[in-house]
Amino acid sequence: MILRAFLCLLLCLCGLSISASAAEKIYNAETFTLKNGMQVVLIPNHRAPIITHMVWYKVGAADEPQGDGVSGEAHFLEHLMFKGSHRVPPGQFSKIIRSIGGEDNAFTSWDYTAYFQSISKSSLPIVMALEADRMINMAPPTKEIEPEHLVIMEERNQTIDNDPRSLFWEQLRATLYNTSPYGIPIIGWKNEMKHISWDLAKNYYQRWYAPNNTILVVSGDATISEMKELAQKYYGFLPSRKIPDHVRPPVPTFTSKQKLFFKDKSVQQPLWVEVRLAPSMAQEYKTGLALSLLEEILSGDSSTLLYQEFVVKRKQAVEISFSYDGNNRGQGSLWVYALPATGVSLTDLEKSINEYLQNIVKNGLPAYEIERAKTRIVDTALFARDSVAGPAMVIGQGLASGLTLDQIENYPDAISKVSADDLKTALATYLDVTTPHWITGYMEQGK
Amino acid sequence: MIRYLFLTCLMLCISCSTVFAATLNIQEVTSSKGIHAWLIEDKTVPVISMQFLFKDAGARNDPDKYQGLARLLSNTMDEGAGNLSSTEFQKELSQNSISLSFSAGRDDFGGSVKTLTKYKDKAFSFLQLALTAPRFDADAVKRMIDANQSRIRDDMSDPEWMAGRIENDVIFKGHAYAQNAGGTLSSLAKITPAVLKEKWKCDLTRDRLMVAVVGDITKDELIRKLDQIFAELPAAAPVTKQSMIDLNQPKKTILYRHDIPQTIVSIIGQGLSQKNPDYFAAEVMNYIFGGGGFGSRLTDVIREKRGLTYGIYTQFGEMDYAQMFHINTSAQNQNIENLIAEIGHEIDRIKVKSVSEQELKNAKSYLIGSTILQLSSTDRIASMILSFQKWGLPKNYLDIREKEISRVTIEDIQRVAQKYLDMNHFTYIMVGNPKNIRPDLEYKTLPNVE
Repeated sequence: MILRAFLCLLLCLCGLSISASAAEKIYNAETFTLKNGMQVVLIPNHRAPIITHMVWYKVGAADEPQGDGVSGEAHFLEHLMFKGSHRVPPGQFSKIIRSIGGEDNAFTSWDYTAYFQSISKSSLPIVMALEADRMINMAPPTKEIEPEHLVIMEERNQTIDNDPRSLFWEQLRATLYNTSPYGIPIIGWKNEMKHISWDLAKNYYQRWYAPNNTILVVSGDATISEMKELAQKYYGFLPSRKIPDHVRPPVPTFTSKQKLFFKDKSVQQPLWVEVRLAPSMAQEYKTGLALSLLEEILSGDSSTLLYQEFVVKRKQAVEISFSYDGNNRGQGSLWVYALPATGVSLTDLEKSINEYLQNIVKNGLPAYEIERAKTRIVDTALFARDSVAGPAMVIGQGLASGLTLDQIENYPDAISKVSADDLKTALATYLDVTTPHWITGYMEQGK
Repeated sequence: MIRYLFLTCLMLCISCSTVFAATLNIQEVTSSKGIHAWLIEDKTVPVISMQFLFKDAGARNDPDKYQGLARLLSNTMDEGAGNLSSTEFQKELSQNSISLSFSAGRDDFGGSVKTLTKYKDKAFSFLQLALTAPRFDADAVKRMIDANQSRIRDDMSDPEWMAGRIENDVIFKGHAYAQNAGGTLSSLAKITPAVLKEKWKCDLTRDRLMVAVVGDITKDELIRKLDQIFAELPAAAPVTKQSMIDLNQPKKTILYRHDIPQTIVSIIGQGLSQKNPDYFAAEVMNYIFGGGGFGSRLTDVIREKRGLTYGIYTQFGEMDYAQMFHINTSAQNQNIENLIAEIGHEIDRIKVKSVSEQELKNAKSYLIGSTILQLSSTDRIASMILSFQKWGLPKNYLDIREKEISRVTIEDIQRVAQKYLDMNHFTYIMVGNPKNIRPDLEYKTLPNVE
C-alpha cells in the first residue's frame, strides 16, 4: 500500500485534523481559566520527563484588515516574534530554547497562530517566562525587519511559486472562498506581500495578542497543581484587553457554475478536483460530525468505498479521496480529488465520480460501511495518547477554531451516535455535485 | 515592575536548569528458534509498536532494468496474503485499526506494525502472513505500479525532487546507489509478480533480520510471537558487497535549468562514519555551523542577517557504502552567487578561528538534552533502538554519546572543520536559473526518471 496524505497536507497548515483525535474521553485533559481570561489546558502524559508547551492565539490571517492591498502580516508577525522583545535580544529566543536542549517553532493559520516548544520537564518555567514576555513586550529593532521581510518572500518562492501544484491549490482556494478572507493565502499574495510593514504587523499584534485571546496547552509530564501555580506565576499578571469580533463573512451563493483550468508545462500528472463550502464543526457541530463520518466512510483508507470502486474495480483513478475540512471558525469545505489512471481523461473521470456520488445521495450508504467507519474512529482515538505533541495540536486547534474541550474529548462518542438519518440529510444537503455550489478544477500539462 | 520580574525569573531558571539524560531500559530477547529482538516494555498506553529490518535487502540490489523493485516489493507485500485477497487483507487491517506497512531504503528493507493491545494477536498473524505468504496478485501489482508511476509524474514538477535525481546520478556515478530507488517510469512497468516473488524469497532472510519492539507486551509473550512471525522465513542469503563511495572529489558544479523563481542548491562533500572517533566532534561542529537551524551560523548570517533564504541546513549522513556531508538551501536566482560566497566565508571562519566557549556549551546542551524529546511515542522509541541495531551500536549508546559529546573541545571542532569543510572538494547541484554560475556540466534531461 502507498500512504496517501497529499490532500490533507494541502488543506490544513499543520497536517492534523480533528479526526486524528481519540475515545470516550480521549485525552483526560484538565482545564482552568486565569483571572485575566487566559485558558489553560493540561494533557497529562508521564511516559518521559518531557513537555510540549503551546501558546495558541485565537487569531490568524483571516483577521488581517481587509481591502488595504496588503496580505500576510499575521504570518510576518509570527516571524518577528523571534526578533526581539524589550527583554530578550533578537534571535535569542530560539537560542535559549536550544541551549536547554529544547526545540521550538511556530505556525500561522487563518484562524489561529501557535508558538510551541518541546522541552524537558524542568525547563517549563523558562519557556513560560519567554512566551509571557513576547506576548506583551515585542520590539524588533529596525535592522532586523527588512531581512525578515526578504525571508518571507523567499518562503513564498520556495513553498508556492517554485511548484505549479501549489499555485493551483492556492488559486482554487481563492475561487472557493471568493469574498472571504479564507481565500487569501496565509503567506500573502506575492504582489501584496511587498507592502507588509512592521507598523501593520504591530497594529495587528496590539489588537489581538492578549491573554484573554490565548489558550495555553501543555502536554506531558506535569500535574494540574503544578500547572495552576506556574500558569498563575508567569501568565497571571498579563493585562487583558478588549478583543474585537472575528469577522468571517459567509461567501455569497453564486448561480454560475465555476470551473478552473490550470495548465503548466511541467505538470506530468493531471489532477481533477471538485470542492464546495460546508459548515465548519464550530458552526454546526451536528452537520460537522456527519460530514466527518462521511469522510471516513468514503475514503478512510484503501479498504473504503471510493478507493475500492475507482482504483481497485474500475481502474479509472490511481488515487482518490473525499475530505471534509471543518476546523474553521467560519465556513469549512468539502473536497473530492482524484488522479486519473493513464489514458483516462479528466472529464470521463469526473463523469464517473459524479454519477457515483449522485447514486449515493439517492440510495444512501450501506449500513455495514457506516458501522465499520464508526469503529475505526473509536479505535483510532485510542492511539492518540501514544504521543506528546499530537494531543496538544488537536486540542489547541479545536479550541482555537471554536470547539469546546468536551466536544473534542467526546468526539468518538459523538461520531458513534450519528444516525443514518443525519447522514442522509448531510448527503442530500451537500453532496449534490451538479449544483453550482461545487467548483471544479482541472490541472493538466500545457502552456 | 512587571518587566523586572520577567528578567529575574528568566535568568534564575536558566542558571538552575539541568539537562535530563535520556535512558532506555532495553531488554535483549531471543526466541527458542533463535529470533533476536530488542524490547522496551512500556504500559503507558495500550499500544505495541514493532519495527524490523532486513539488512542489505534494500534498493541497492535492484537490477538496473528493474529499478524500484525493492520499493514495489514494499508496496505489494501488504496487498493480499494467504487466503486473503488485497481487498480482504486491507479490510482486515482497517477493521482492527492495525497499521502494517513495509518500506525500502537503499540498503535495507524494513517493516512496521503498530496495534492496540486488544488486537495484537491479529496484528502479528497478519504480519506473519504478509511476510511468509504474500500473493503478488497481478491485479494488485499492476495497481501499485500505476500508483508509483503516478507518484513519479507528480514529483516531476517538484524542483527539490529534480535536484535529488541529479545528485544521485552525479555523486554515485557507476554505483548501485546511482539508481532511482523509487523506480523509473519504464523500469517499474517491467516488474512482474514473478520478479517480486523472487526478490521476496531470496532477500528476506532470518540472518539479516533485526527487530525492535516497544509498548504493552511482556518478554515471554514477545518470545512466542517472534517465533510465530519470523521463524518460517528462509535462514540466510549471501550479501553482494559493493565498493565504498569516495566523495572527496575536485569541486564541480552541475546544473539543470528549470524556469522557477529560485534555484535549489544541494552541496555534497565527504562525511564520516558514526564509528569514526571524530564523529561526535563532527556532530557538534555541524550543529554550530549549520545543523541547528535557528542559532546555527549559516542560518544566522544567510537567513537572519541577509534574508537570502527561507532555510539552510547542513548534516552528516551515513549509508552502508557512503558517508556524506550535505548543505541544502534555496534562494532567488540572482542571489545564488552571493549565497555560495557567504557559505564559503563561514567555512573559512570556522576553520580559521576557534568557536566560542558559549557556542560549544550551547551545542552540547542541545545535542545531549534534546535526545529525550525523541522518547514521546512507542514508534519513535522503536525506530531509535532499531537504528542502534542497524549501526551496531550498544544498548547504552545514549550514555556513551552523552559522555563523548561532553568531551568535545574547541580544538576538536576546528580540526574536524578543517577536515570536512572544503569548498574546493564539494559537488554543487543546482536546479533553477542561477545568475553568474558557470556549471561544469549541464543536464538536459533528468536521469533515471523516464
